[in-house]
Amino acid sequence: MIINTITFFSLIKREVSRFSKVAIQTIFAPLISTGLYLIIFSYSFQNREVARYGIPYIDFIVPGLIMMSLIQNSFANTSSSLIGAKYNGIIIDFLLAPFSHIELTLGFMIGGMVRGMLVGSVTYLVATFFYGGAVAHPLLAVFFAILVSSIFSLFGIIAGLWAEKFDHVSIFSNFFITPLTFLSGVFYSVKGLPGIWSEVSLFNPVFYMVDAVRYSFIGQSDVEPAFSALIIGSLAFILLLVVTYLFKIGYKVKS
Amino acid sequence: MSTAIKIRNINKSYGDLQALDDINLDIKKGEFFGLLGPNGAGKSTLIGIIGGLVHKDSGEITVLGKDIITDYRKTKKSLGIVPQEITFDPYFTVRETLEIHSGYFGIKNNGDKIDELLEALSLEDKAEIGPRQLSGGMRRRLLIAKALVHDPEIIVLDEPTAGVDVELRNSLWEYVINLNKEGKTIILTTHYLEEAEALCDRIAIMDKGKIVKVDSKENLINSIDKKVISIKFDEAAPGLKEELGKIDFELSDDQKQIEIETAKKDLDKILGKIIEINVDIVDIDIESAKLEDVFIKLTNLGGDDN
Repeated sequence: MIINTITFFSLIKREVSRFSKVAIQTIFAPLISTGLYLIIFSYSFQNREVARYGIPYIDFIVPGLIMMSLIQNSFANTSSSLIGAKYNGIIIDFLLAPFSHIELTLGFMIGGMVRGMLVGSVTYLVATFFYGGAVAHPLLAVFFAILVSSIFSLFGIIAGLWAEKFDHVSIFSNFFITPLTFLSGVFYSVKGLPGIWSEVSLFNPVFYMVDAVRYSFIGQSDVEPAFSALIIGSLAFILLLVVTYLFKIGYKVKS
Repeated sequence: MSTAIKIRNINKSYGDLQALDDINLDIKKGEFFGLLGPNGAGKSTLIGIIGGLVHKDSGEITVLGKDIITDYRKTKKSLGIVPQEITFDPYFTVRETLEIHSGYFGIKNNGDKIDELLEALSLEDKAEIGPRQLSGGMRRRLLIAKALVHDPEIIVLDEPTAGVDVELRNSLWEYVINLNKEGKTIILTTHYLEEAEALCDRIAIMDKGKIVKVDSKENLINSIDKKVISIKFDEAAPGLKEELGKIDFELSDDQKQIEIETAKKDLDKILGKIIEINVDIVDIDIESAKLEDVFIKLTNLGGDDN
């Protein structure tokens, strides 16, 4: 049997309880920066339109900001949980208990997804005060949010397993997540970038995530949403296999 | 008595260091087993392999007849391992920690067992507080409770009393002895050789990644042919040196007390000579070899850190 339900749900419960215990830091603090973005952009660009889409700028950036919160928090949850477990020594609890590799992968992943989706949802609620709250394809938005949060939860697991100290996690965060997110078209349409930069942006996987979610919100996108779904889905599947393998070999946790 | 843990040809190396060298060992069900050895002997590595914390290079281990790799779910449920290092999850109270752990082992609604452990380990009044507020001894008790929360058949205690005060140590041993009487298999590693001598039925002595001896405690101690005779005289006994001849002995400054280390076969001869001195004996004490003597002999420790 691959999944023992009680064992599996205990890990999810632990992961969700862990960030819920420090909700001010994990759920509400991220809202401050997103809220500031919303206030500043809605004030600074209140009469601006995104010409390519023919919509107000604030409508354009809301899906990207929601995606950014979701990405950062999914990643932060799994990476901090694992590096914390290694730091506190309780990583052995997961090795001594009868977890299968897939249970560990999915358990940590879902914990990160719950936090990412929760912060993303609260960000959306806050954003409704700024743009009205219309979502063109709500189910598609949820579908893409689930896929994206799974990707960054898995990425966070890799970072948490690889890291030997908290600083190492911030390397991932500062040198990969933040640049890829900021250059993914959260704040602009990549098709409007000059010269080669428009083409270069297509190699950034986060671009497809932001673009697909934007399609779900405003019904328009830079690339076909089906193509984005294929890229995002493939990436999620590959990362799922990689993380399961890392748990199987006990990467950096078993000697 | 059937086998609780069967270890066959286990090897483990870290680079050039051979941490475990062809380990073979059978631990019987229901016994109180001691695993002794100096630092770096390989005890914790062996326990780590049994529990799934360390990869083995080669060999096989079964726990209650199940392979630790192919049947890991069953073997892990049979094992309760108390690690050497004190670890704790700072996010959860003592009770929450034990509830989460019960879940990890597939047990729901484990309140009765948790209450029993909290009481047995004197943690009842600490149940609702976080581990950061616990003293070192209490944190170690929490570790023990975590290892026992799924009621394992085999309990492995890796240096469980390191840094623990005498009172707690005694209550802990009382609890572990009761578990053993209930039929649980106990495996103990400790630096306190008196503890191992007092508690264990059988003992394996490890050194440099090998098992150098496995036997019952009695056989191990009897393997050392040593008696230490201490005699107190009523008055100074100046003629001792001439009488004892070539026998080595230590004499106190006032010449009223003597200590002789000898083999069992010479006991009769030495005591006969002492009686011939014709000085009244106030007290006499004959001490046998201790586990420590066996340990030092087998591990060639001498002045080493143990």
